[in-house]
Amino acid sequence: MPAEPFNYDYAPYLNRPKIVWPDGKRLAFWVAPNIEFYEYAPPPSAARSVWYRPEPDILNYSMRDYGNRVGFDRMADVMARYGVRGSVSLNVALCDHFPEIIERCCELDWELFSHGVYNTRYLYGMTEDQQREIIRDSRDTIRRISGQSLDGWLSPAISNEATTQDLLAEEGLLYTLDLFHDDQPMPVNTRSGRRFVSIPYMMDVNDVPVLNFRNISPPDYLQLIKDHFDQLYEEGAESGTVMCLPLHPYLIGQPHRLWLLDEALKYVTSHDGVWLATGREIAKWYLDHGYDDARAFIAGVNGRAA
Amino acid sequence: MTIEASYFDYPRRGPGMDQDRYPYRRLARSPAVAWPGGAKLLVWVTLHLEHFPMDMPAKPFLPAGGMNRPGVSVWDYTQRDYGNRVGFYRLMKLFDRHGIRPTVAMNSQVAVRYPFLLERIVERGWEIAASGVDMGHLHYGGLDEAAERAQVEQSFGDLRRLSGQPVTGWHSPAHSQSQNTPDLVAEAGGLYIADWINDDMPYVFATRGGTLTQMPLSYDLSDRKILYQQSLPSSVYAQQVEMACGCLREEADTRGGRILSLSLSPWVAGLPAQIRTIDALLGRILATPDTRPANGEEIRAAWTASAAG
Repeated sequence: MPAEPFNYDYAPYLNRPKIVWPDGKRLAFWVAPNIEFYEYAPPPSAARSVWYRPEPDILNYSMRDYGNRVGFDRMADVMARYGVRGSVSLNVALCDHFPEIIERCCELDWELFSHGVYNTRYLYGMTEDQQREIIRDSRDTIRRISGQSLDGWLSPAISNEATTQDLLAEEGLLYTLDLFHDDQPMPVNTRSGRRFVSIPYMMDVNDVPVLNFRNISPPDYLQLIKDHFDQLYEEGAESGTVMCLPLHPYLIGQPHRLWLLDEALKYVTSHDGVWLATGREIAKWYLDHGYDDARAFIAGVNGRAA
Repeated sequence: MTIEASYFDYPRRGPGMDQDRYPYRRLARSPAVAWPGGAKLLVWVTLHLEHFPMDMPAKPFLPAGGMNRPGVSVWDYTQRDYGNRVGFYRLMKLFDRHGIRPTVAMNSQVAVRYPFLLERIVERGWEIAASGVDMGHLHYGGLDEAAERAQVEQSFGDLRRLSGQPVTGWHSPAHSQSQNTPDLVAEAGGLYIADWINDDMPYVFATRGGTLTQMPLSYDLSDRKILYQQSLPSSVYAQQVEMACGCLREEADTRGGRILSLSLSPWVAGLPAQIRTIDALLGRILATPDTRPANGEEIRAAWTASAAG
């Protein structure tokens, strides 16, 4: 195991080159619904237990199944009301199981990116060729169902291998969400030297850790989202920031929580300086307008040529 | 650690579910259900009566409320037992006052141990649903089928014999099933289960003994989850239930009848510090236009008779 990810250099959040989003916006806001398929009888993993109870773990399986039966449409209805598109963190096998969900995502002009094949199949222990097989399966499946290119990546259940970022860059993706180290996009160092970036995907406002692990109440979650936004919006005047709202329809699409998504999107979209973007749009803008300046800045900070 | 080639086999990767219990259904595209009498929202109150033996096994997992002390767990035992001694009667008076006839999902051992309590349920005509034998007899993957059949038959058998009711519903202790539980419930004459938490409406559930109705019993919105497991204050519990009520009631206007499931446990909701919140909450819920309480068997029958069922 390496001692650190080796995918980025130190870059202080101070005096960075100024990022200005399209039309002079100061905060890029994007919503990443995780549309997932957890298997009823997954193959065992040497790295971790898949389910929490002896299988079949019908409580946890059915809890997640709720998202695809009920929560997705509720969540999508609220997002559409505020003109907020989703960038879907997609277990691509779902395209085969429930194509009608993907059909609605496409009608709403949402981006699809990969979150692996199933959320119950991990990258842990995979060879490079095996990881490439997952990346290519994702690319082929997303193109077949939507015509979209595979540009973004969040490892299934955040199950990275040390070479995952290298492989994503080599396979031609534009951005990764596996790195939680910053509030702005950042260049990612990979062995090929291809232009490849990280986009903020905030675990701290992700509904799973907030609601399921930290037991934060829905009203407090709404306040957390607003506080998070207020600070990044203020800082975005100095240099453009990114706020990601990662969601899971099985949690946010529950009737006792849907209201907080409505309130959160109402709040965010009431601010003039917000760019309602997708992950792909943020990555492309940053690659064209921010990447080279950031590289030079990082080289200067670390005392070497860009 | 090497990953075998078989890790890349996806035998169920195709249209629909990856198991054969029910077909995929998207609630937003499902036929509207019309409840009898024109109600838009039915409030299904379930009261969960449980017996936690002090020597219950900690394996395969400890259910919420299980014995958690390093030695003799008098603390946990007596706190749970409080529900059957005190909390139940506090809630009983509350339900009487609000005109609510809950479904009582009970471990059969509660009926065996406390005939006085059972009599209060029976004389009120409250529906009894079977909820296993006791909390020391969970249903879980890998449980021997003959042993589990005996548990299911004991639960239904004791409750039917002691109450004189048909007992058509089943709720597995701690929402936990083995691979066989629904089959055994159907073979024991059950008509509905309320264990899977993947929908807000009933659906048809296949077993080898015919079909069951799977009923939506809330887990995330239960008093046990919010007040006990998450340790959140009662105001947060009440706020969430009200938001759910509002969301479902509004949805019912465009997408057909809905169900609000209120899962209450006497050792949680029946505490003095909670009961006034529950009281006020029930009042507000039942004052919602076109909303009325119904029990599990009534909802099952109405849903089955509707076009959707």
